[in-house]
Formats: sequence, structure tokens, C-alpha cells
Amino acid sequence: MIKLNNINKTYFGAQPLHVLKGINLDVAEGELVSIMGASGSGKSTLLNILGILDNYDEGEYYLAGKLVKNLSENQAAEFRNKLIGFIFQSFNLIPFKTALENVALPLFYQGVNRKKRNMMAMEYLERFGLKDWADHYPNELSGGQKQRVSIARALVTSPKIILADEPTGALDSKTSAEVMQILREVNATGITMVIVTHERGIANLTRKIVHLKDGIIESIEENDPDKMDFTKEIK
Amino acid sequence: MFNRDFWSEIFMALKRNKLRTILTGFAISWGIFMLIVLLSAGNGLKNGVTGNFADRIKNTYTIWSSSTELPYKGHKAGRFIMLNNKDIQLLESLYQVEEVSPVLSKGGTLIFGEKSRNVSMEGVKPIFKNIEGVKVIEGRFINENDMRNKLKVVVIDKNTNEELLRTSEETSMMGKTVYINGLSFTVIGVSKGMAFGEMGQCYAPYSTIRAIYNVNEYYQLTFTTKGLDTKEDNEVFSKELRKKIAMLHEFSPDDNRGVWIDSQMVNSLETMRIFNTINIFIWVIGIAMLISGVVGVSNIMRITVKERTNEIGIRKALGAKPRSILLSIVMESLVITTIFGYIGMICGIGLMEIVNSIMESSGAGTNSEMGMSVFVNPTVDISIVVMATLVLIISGVAAGFAPAWNSVKVKPIEAMNYR
Repeated sequence: MIKLNNINKTYFGAQPLHVLKGINLDVAEGELVSIMGASGSGKSTLLNILGILDNYDEGEYYLAGKLVKNLSENQAAEFRNKLIGFIFQSFNLIPFKTALENVALPLFYQGVNRKKRNMMAMEYLERFGLKDWADHYPNELSGGQKQRVSIARALVTSPKIILADEPTGALDSKTSAEVMQILREVNATGITMVIVTHERGIANLTRKIVHLKDGIIESIEENDPDKMDFTKEIK
Repeated sequence: MFNRDFWSEIFMALKRNKLRTILTGFAISWGIFMLIVLLSAGNGLKNGVTGNFADRIKNTYTIWSSSTELPYKGHKAGRFIMLNNKDIQLLESLYQVEEVSPVLSKGGTLIFGEKSRNVSMEGVKPIFKNIEGVKVIEGRFINENDMRNKLKVVVIDKNTNEELLRTSEETSMMGKTVYINGLSFTVIGVSKGMAFGEMGQCYAPYSTIRAIYNVNEYYQLTFTTKGLDTKEDNEVFSKELRKKIAMLHEFSPDDNRGVWIDSQMVNSLETMRIFNTINIFIWVIGIAMLISGVVGVSNIMRITVKERTNEIGIRKALGAKPRSILLSIVMESLVITTIFGYIGMICGIGLMEIVNSIMESSGAGTNSEMGMSVFVNPTVDISIVVMATLVLIISGVAAGFAPAWNSVKVKPIEAMNYR
């Protein structure tokens, strides 16, 4: 599903910063992968490149068999819309739209009509137990509810891959466990998932842990989450 | 693209920032409103003043008799120069002069039934109507037939007409016989006329008055010219004419008085020059107002885009194409400018139409005593207004386009992390 060949990325500021120094990584379809690393290790940059939210300088990135390089804005938008679902630490919900409208937004950019859009969005909200909150605005929701709305938003277009950037970073441990449970269930339906985290407890719930340090992959650790009792050891 | 969702997004954005929308809109409405009021007022003034000359032909002169200011060849200063037949002969000998129409003035009393009124009777030729711009509001002016047959017909002024008809059973003076200094005249027309207070002013055929009174002296000579098209031509001609008349009446050629020589062409050119200046002035103010409106719109657009950077980033991450974001921002400013520009336009035109109708019904702006108008039809050409509104809309959008474009160009991740 994801194939990275020697990805390099440098930020050219006052002091050029070489954040990714040749990343090689394969993620198969249906895998649940976490990327771990200290702050500054380049894990967020890597995720942004995977999400086509940022570009890279060198190497090749294949997503679902297609080379993602030098895409036009329109092509990138289409890739993001059709193939990728995003989950952010700060949720990134649009504050003046209701939960339902937020979930329906990616479908709006696919040109789905309003009725069908709202129906599909409602379906996903229902799946995450948010049916009664559909007409509420994000500031009326708890952190866990917000993250569930954003998971619904990420899934509504039936993407090939979910990219989660510190999905539990703003949540307490109980809510984190719930969110991780949801993500694992989503993965179980066959959707590839990449989670960036700095918490070992979160990484332990994934099958493959990629350790990133100073812009290179230090090690890739195979893991069996079923051995873990995630409700107790999450943090 | 432009479906219900698209528009509801835009109106939601405008509603979300009600105060900002209204303030921006007010600046635009006010700019357009003031532009219309200014242009209309300028037009009203122009219509009013030029309306006084509208019926006049331009290539005309009037010479008035007057007193000298300088002593000359043994004559003392302050001598009154009366125009006479020699002046007419002089004028007729000049190749620039087309037709001379002397004005024979005779004071007298007009009597109709029980009523009497002091009048000044002017014996004039038919061309006088065009030279002085006499407005006939009922009946007709003197014609060639009256002249040839020396008919005893008279055109009375509006005030005299009203005075004679007051408490009378008659509704019109047309065809009625009046007595002026004991002679019977038939009324053929009513002029808007220049009546001063209690003194009426009547016009009779020149030939008739001349035959009755055998006058050979004139207070006023009018004539039309040919081939004098520019201000310079007319100034040269006036100067030479003044010299010749000065020689005839033995007053100093350097005397600025003695006679008044008045060129309608020069007056009208002067008037036009003044109005052109006023017009330029109004446009400068109007354009300055438009610019301030445009600056307001572009400023608001910049703030809007800045505030929305985050949201734009999220939308891009979810798959919004640059075009849809650009379009929604540009359309937002287009909607504001169009709606509020239209409101300003309607208010401005509405106000001026109300002013216009009030003025028309009350007769304000025209001085009926003098038969002169100062302020008439203060409205503005609709195409100019529409154009101004369009300029405002286009420049507002263009100004909003740059920040919108920049925000579209920003990488989604940068936009999302923008605080």
C-alpha cells in the first residue's frame, strides 16, 4: 500500500534542517503501523509526506501503486480526498459547522449531493455513538467525542489508508483507550493505518512499530497487540 | 459548482461575521451613494444654468448704451452714449454681421378692461426670440408677417398675463385686445419674460413700434454674426467693434464703458468652462470615494483570509481543490460589494428622484420672477452609476484575489498549523 524509497526532506530556513535522511519503508494493505520517535525525530514530517500535506525533496513515494511526486494542487487534493483519511491531535474540526456537517465535508468535495452526504455522515456518526450529537458544534463536544467525529470524517469517504497524528495526544487515558479501540476496529475492517505517537502504550497496540531517530529509521519492531491488556497499560 | 451548497457556504460565512459584513457593506454603499448625490447635484446645477441658454443661438451679440468713464476730446466723463441709426448702419456694413435686430424701448401703460399696468414695450424682430432666448409659454412670438404688415400685436409677460386674468372671467388673454398708451394691440402670446417687480415687459413688432413712435435712438442693439467660432475671434471682433463705435460717438477707444458689448458665444464658453471644472472636481472626489471603498473591501478580504487560514488548511486536507477555495473567497467579496453597492445605488437614485419631484412640484430651483433656473433635474446618467458600481466590484474582487491566492498556495500543513 505504501512504499517509500530513500525519502529525503530538508527545511530551508535560516539554518537548513535535514529532517528526513533516506527513509525506506513498506506498509502492506491492512497493516497497523505506528511511528515512534522523540520530538524532532521527523515523525510528523514523515506523516505529512505520507498524507501529501507536504512535499519531499528526494526519493520516491508510491501510494496504492501510484507515484506521488510533483503532483499538481488539484491532483494532490484528489489523492487526499479519495485515498487518505486524516486524524489529528487537535481534531481540526471546523468550529462553525455541526458534527454532521464536519463529517459530510469530504463528500462535499467529491460532489456528492446534500441528501446522500448527510445520510452517509449520519451513518458514520451512528456507528461511533454520536447520533444524538449530530447537530452540535465542536465546542459543545468533549475531547473524545470530537476525536470520534474526526474519525467518522476520516472514514466517510472509505479511504484506503488512515493517517493519525498523535490521535490520543489531547485525550485522557480512558478516552485514549476508547479511541484506540475504535481505531483497531477500523483497522480490522481492512483499512491500512499509520499512527504517529511518542507514547509506548499506544505503539504497543500496533503490529509494527517503526522507531525513528534523527531522520532515519533506527529499527522496525514486530509486535503482537493481542498480548497486551490495553485497558490497563496504555499509559 | 455554483449550487445551493456553494451559496449557503458563502452566506453562512457572511452571517458569521455580521458586524464586519455590515461595516464593509456600509463603506461601499456610502461611497456609491455619495458619488451619485455629488454627480446629480453637479448635473442639476449644470442643467439649471445651461437651461437658461438652451434656446438661445450662440453667435449673437448685444450692445447696451451706457455712460463713458473717461473724458475725451473735450467731452466730460459720464456722458451717456445713446445708440442710433448710424450704429445700425455701421453694423450692417461689417461682413461678420449677419442680421441686426435693434430693440426699441417704449414705456407705457397697458389697460385691459378695468385693469392697468405699467409696462416697458420692446419693439423687436422675430430673431430676438433666439438671440435673447425668450421662452414663449402660450401662443406665439412675433413673426415675419407681423413685421411686414406692421401689425399691432403684442406678446405679454407671464406676470402681466396673470395680473390681467386675476378676478376676471377670462381664462386666456389670447386674441384679446389691450390698450397700450391708448393704442389697441392684440395679444398673440405670453412669454416667461424678464419682469422686474411691478413693471411688465411686452414685445411688439419692431416695424410697428417704429412706425408709431418714429424712434431713432436705442438702448439696446442685438445682432447675429457669422464666422466667429472661437473665443479669440470674438474677443478680437469685440475690440474692433468697440473702437469703431467709440469713433462714431467720440469717446475714448480706451474707455471700457460708453457701451457694453456682450458676446453670447464668450459667455457660453465661459459657462461651459466653469462646468467642466466643476465636473472634474466632482469626479476627483467621486473617484477618491470609490478608492476608499475599494481599500476597505480589500482590507476586509485580507483579514478574512488570515482568519480563515486554519479552516482553509483543513479543507485542503479533506480534498478541497484550490479553485473551490479561491472561488468561495472571491465570491464572498463579490456578494458583499454587489449587494451593498446596489443598496447604495438605489438609495442615491431614490433620494435624487425624490428631491427632483419635490423641486418640480414646488418650482424650487427656478426663479420665476427672473424667469431663470438655477437647479434643474438633479439626476445622474444611470450608465455612469452602473459603471461606477462595476468598477467598485471588480476592484474589490481584484484586491481580495491576491490574499486569497496566497492562502491557496500555502501548503495545507502550514495553513493548518497557522495560529
